[in-house]
This record gives sequence, C-alpha cells and structure tokens, in this order.
Amino acid sequence: MANRDIPEINAGSMADIAFLLLIFFLVTTTMDKDAAYVRNIPKKIEVVVTDPVVVEERNICAIQANNKNQLMVRGELMSNPDDISVRVVEFYQMNEAQNDPTNNFPMYSRITMEKIDENISIAEAAAEAVEETPDASQDIIDFKWKQVAEWEAKKSALNFYSNNGSNGKNELPEIHFQAHIRIEVMQETAYELFAKIQSEIEEAIFELRDGAAEDVFNESYGTITARYAMNQEAVDKEKIDLLKILYPDRFIEVTPKR
Amino acid sequence: MPGVNTSSLPDIVFMLLFFFMVATTSKESDPSVKVVQPEGIRTVDMTPYKQRSEIDFVYIGKPRNKARQAEFKMGFALFLDNVAQPDVGELYNTNAIGSWKLDKFNSKPPRMSAPIESVITCVKADKDSPSVLIFDIRNELQTVDALTIAYAVRDKGKI
Repeated sequence: MANRDIPEINAGSMADIAFLLLIFFLVTTTMDKDAAYVRNIPKKIEVVVTDPVVVEERNICAIQANNKNQLMVRGELMSNPDDISVRVVEFYQMNEAQNDPTNNFPMYSRITMEKIDENISIAEAAAEAVEETPDASQDIIDFKWKQVAEWEAKKSALNFYSNNGSNGKNELPEIHFQAHIRIEVMQETAYELFAKIQSEIEEAIFELRDGAAEDVFNESYGTITARYAMNQEAVDKEKIDLLKILYPDRFIEVTPKR
Repeated sequence: MPGVNTSSLPDIVFMLLFFFMVATTSKESDPSVKVVQPEGIRTVDMTPYKQRSEIDFVYIGKPRNKARQAEFKMGFALFLDNVAQPDVGELYNTNAIGSWKLDKFNSKPPRMSAPIESVITCVKADKDSPSVLIFDIRNELQTVDALTIAYAVRDKGKI
C-alpha cells in the first residue's frame, strides 16, 4: 500500500444543499401570530351558600347579546358595537372624581394607609380563625389567605402611588369591590360578536389604564407593558400592578341558558 | 477579469437558513375544520406561551368535508390539536376535552409543566360559530381545573 493523498471533499455543492434547506424553511414558515384574549375560568368550589350576596344593580355593567346578535348594554339597546368601550369607560369613571349616590354607577372609596393596615390584620385574624376550625375545606382557607394577599398588594400599590406623581397622593381611589363587567350571550350568538365584546372591553380598560399611566408615570400603558414583557423589571411590574388595582378587570361570563 | 470568490456563499446561506429555522413556528396540526377568525384589538400575543409549550389549541368551525356538516350541532365541529381524530361520531364531543387536556398535560416532561390552572387553552373559533360551544368548552375545562382560556382573534393592529 503506497501512501495515497487524501482527496479533499468537494464543497462546491454545499451552497446548493443549504439553499435547498433554506427554501424549504422559507416555504413552510408561517409568520402569522396567534393573538387572543386571556380569561380566567372561576374555580369550582364546594361551598354551601347560606345567604347569597346581594349585588346592587349599579355595580354591574351588563353587556348582553341575543340569538339575533342584537346588543344591549346596561339595559339600553345598542346598534353600533364600537360604542361598548365608551360605555365601559363611563361605567368606571362616572363616580371616580366624586361619588354621586343618585346615579346608577359604582361608588368609589378612598382608602388610606391606616385603613389598609387595619384590614390586613382583620383579614389575617379571619384566615387564622378558619384554619383553626375543624373540617374547614382547603378551598376556604386558600380563599381567606388570598384576601390577605390582596390587601398586602394594595398596601404596596399605595406606597408606590404616593411615591410617584406630583401632588402627594396618600389615598388609593378604589372602585367598589362588587363592580363587575358581566357578559351575557345566548346560545346562538355568533362568536364574532362575543369576540367584539371582549375586544371593546379590552380597549376600554386599556384606555383607562393608559390615562392613569400618563398621569402618574408620564408614559403610556402600552410602553410599560411592552417593556415589562421584554425585560421583566420589578419597577415595571409595580407600575402595572398599581394600574391594575386602579382599574381592575373583573368579568363574569354567564353560561347561556339551555 | 477574475471571478468573484464564492467560497463564503454557503456561510451566508447557512446564516439565513438558521434564521428561518429559529424563527419558524410550525403549525401544530392542520385543522380539518375551516376557521375564519373575527377581528379584535389590544390582544395578547400567544407566541411566548407557544414557545414554553403552555398552550393547547381547540378549533371550532365547519368541517371541510361538506358531507359531514349535517352530523354536527348547528354544523360546527371541534378539532383538538395533536390528537388523532377519533371516530366521526366523537368529533364534536366536548366531553373529550377534559381527557384531551389531561393527556396533554401528563405527557409533558415535569420540568416544563406549569400548573394545569395556568396552561392556556386557546379557542380558535370561526366568526359564525355559536357562543354556546365556547361555554361548553369552558365547563369541561372547569371540571379538570384548567382555568385559563384564551379567545383567539385576528389582531387588527394598533389604531
């Protein structure tokens, strides 16, 4: 066996192979984004309701749609679905500056730091009491501790609120805890309208939070959320949490009746 | 005149290739129902959830096979991603959603699995599909404690 030169592999067709792969991926790539509205489904819990909570009519922003895709917002027929967001904004802001008991919109309360501290200790005591109770279900215990956590969140939100913005805010304006947006559709309501309602609510809440963000932080809500999605910075999280407490998105989606 | 040196051409092409390989999100499966999505604004982008595999898709639409449309409630059928379609009789069957969701959840490696409450079920429904189907799906998800749902729309873009 004589020494033979090892021949080099001809790489001239490498480009062709790579091009082929490239074209394959070019063709199969779908660049379309999936966009959606994320909602939570309430957890199923086994609690015997002894006395049902009475919810005042003023605290509910009912958006109803029937089988013929006709819309009703707070009892008024609505021909143009684009106006839903206006009505939702109105629902949130009517009593924000000043409570007017004569109108039919949810009340606002202004909570101070002392009030929050008081409520934290009350909620903690209640949670501990439930834990002590024999045969208390885990769901109720979790629920009670969640209430404590909610007050703690309000405390840090108010701290953050008073440290930002100019005019020394030491109270947290808060919409009534019962204030909800209720979506009632019927069995044959088209998904298009259902999605439109979701879209309009999202638009309204964005508008509200955006206004508050410009007010307090001098930047838009969209900027804050986009930056938080990129960098996950704690300060942006605090900003978003505060805006969510100022304008909470609370939904009730009613299952259509059979 | 000397020819242009093309020896770095494969490198350039490979670079492009890798870009597309990384940027590609391949479709989970091609649904056998026809979905025309409604439009909406201020949506949430589902791509990050997709990359973390925290999302499952349900399609609602008219079956592409016209002959089958009559067999379903109001003509609309369900399509669950990543499962071999069961018998025709079971195609529209919201009861299948609970076991489908649990199957998918249990087949993920433990390090990837977010708690089932936060694994999003994204409903991609045709714009004419009746809302009752969405609420049927919601009820089924509630029984298996998968408590996050997303209603898919086509983003109209910012105004």
